[in-house]
Amino acid sequence: MRPLNISLRFDVSVTPQPWTLASGLRRLVLWAVLAVVAVFFAVPIVWLLLETTRAGQTGPDSQVGAPLAFGSLHQLVQNWQVLFSGLVGQIGTWLANSALYSGSGVLIAVGLGVPAGYGLATFDFFGRRLLLFATMIAMLIPSTALVLPLVLEAHSLGMLSSPLAVILPYGFFPFGVYIAYLYFNTPRVFGLLAAARSDGCNEWQAFRHVALPLSTPILGLVVVLDFIASWTNYFLPWGMYLAFGCAGSAGTTIACQTTRYPVTLGVAQQLMAGAPAPFAIPQPASVTLQSLQMQTNAPASVEALLILVSVAPVIVVLVIAQRWIASGRLQGIFV
Amino acid sequence: MAIRRKPQLRPRKSGYLFVAPYVALLVVVGIYPVGYAANLALTSFTAHFAGLTNFINSYHDYQFVPAFENIGKFLAIWLTALVVLVVGLSLVLHSLNRRVSAAFRFVFYLPAALAGSASVMLWLFVLQPGDSPWNFILRWLGYKTLGDSLAPGNLPVIFALIAFWTGAGSWIVVMHGALATIPEDLLEAAKLDGAGWWRTAVHVKLPLIQRWIAYMLIGAFAAGTQLFVEPQLVSEATAAASNQTWSPNQLAVFLSFHLDNFNYAAAISIDLLVVALICAAVILMRTGLFKVGH
Repeated sequence: MRPLNISLRFDVSVTPQPWTLASGLRRLVLWAVLAVVAVFFAVPIVWLLLETTRAGQTGPDSQVGAPLAFGSLHQLVQNWQVLFSGLVGQIGTWLANSALYSGSGVLIAVGLGVPAGYGLATFDFFGRRLLLFATMIAMLIPSTALVLPLVLEAHSLGMLSSPLAVILPYGFFPFGVYIAYLYFNTPRVFGLLAAARSDGCNEWQAFRHVALPLSTPILGLVVVLDFIASWTNYFLPWGMYLAFGCAGSAGTTIACQTTRYPVTLGVAQQLMAGAPAPFAIPQPASVTLQSLQMQTNAPASVEALLILVSVAPVIVVLVIAQRWIASGRLQGIFV
Repeated sequence: MAIRRKPQLRPRKSGYLFVAPYVALLVVVGIYPVGYAANLALTSFTAHFAGLTNFINSYHDYQFVPAFENIGKFLAIWLTALVVLVVGLSLVLHSLNRRVSAAFRFVFYLPAALAGSASVMLWLFVLQPGDSPWNFILRWLGYKTLGDSLAPGNLPVIFALIAFWTGAGSWIVVMHGALATIPEDLLEAAKLDGAGWWRTAVHVKLPLIQRWIAYMLIGAFAAGTQLFVEPQLVSEATAAASNQTWSPNQLAVFLSFHLDNFNYAAAISIDLLVVALICAAVILMRTGLFKVGH
């Protein structure tokens, strides 16, 4: 039987406000503010994209054309060739490293987080509330707060510069556990699980054949969020591979394992040519800083392309997931 | 926050099997390192219990107070920008046509793709007179080199600009999600009662999203005290000694690998962790956003 639907609606037409000078001015100001803010957000990215198509400058004040002009596609191809010629660090290796670290982290986050969320949502066991509380606290503290303790731990265990030193923290994604917990903690899922059990499923089969197929939307969410967080992380690999990773025992310096850098770390080290080595004696405040220069002295356009290539996977993921992130539905999970 | 135990929950031991791997990871990369750092912070160089000595001594380090002052300036600028601009822009976008609003949100959100080190490097180019798209502003300010732009007095503003550029879009999306939950009827009722754009925004919408604003401010405060990537890359670019210990996190790292003083470093990282834990607890207990159960 269909429920009878009676809609009572009082349609009161609100006549649009008459156009006045004051309201016109207000609109003008509003759009001007929006335009200025949009320009603030967009221009650096537009500059980055345009710069990669230009010959680029190699020193300060050797400006080539206006900052926001398009060069040529031919130049873009040339810059690309310079970038991957092997002169500019080990960009290919660093990209592969980032893919390995972030990819493994995501796999762990999904593989451990989804069952954990399921376990928290459907079973009652001693320590459940404590675990839930710890997960929520861990999800709400900034991940950077754990970096130094993690580095100190890895130092004490002799795990610095080991891929596991970054992969395991990337795989720890309490927000994913919380999302999975909320997702499975609904009457609909409970009903389906009860049906599966009365049909003779054991606990594993109920999870594998009922809960897991239901969880594809949150799998996507966990993958996207953990991937972006891992790929863009700088502080953790900096601590593990550079600051402490180049330190031998008792303050001796050993060669940094640049071939293990993720792309964020490699690119930054490549660009910061004026950078002091982690153990160099601090220099007095530099007054001669003219411009950023790469160790290879490549033009700014190649440096711009280097930055763009280093974040390209994140941009791709964001654009694919854009509709769904910008819709705010993701945040709707909490409400 | 109330964690309710629901009758449907199955009192089965097999729950442990589902959570065990995650709990192991939680211990290895969460609980153990924090315990290890806390232990280091409470022991002396010779591995004897030292009470709060490391906390007191690290506080008296000549670089400690300046680092927290730097962070204070940065937070004041950044949090003000967040609360005024993110809330203001979200309210403006919410009253626009759906498509236009979505397009603006996308533009505001896009810099999030460059979160972390990439945005700092991009901004170092943007702040470099000569090839910068904002050349006319930099010239007007009288800056001739990147060194001029990165003058010590400018750093809190620059870090706030970078943090706002990469992070504001995500918060605007969060606020949009919160505003989207306001029932249409309520807004229509406000309109019928004669409330204009301003009064609807301030007296109807704002009170309904204030929990989210509180969440944003506390979360941003906690994250801001941890500031590291921005000052670190600037210090590497400028090779200026004063920049190496600009933020508390930098100071902690500096103390441990330059001076081999892991105990002070651990003490500072515990200071910051306590701030983060208090913020997390306040968000959890007071905003009521993170509910448990359905």
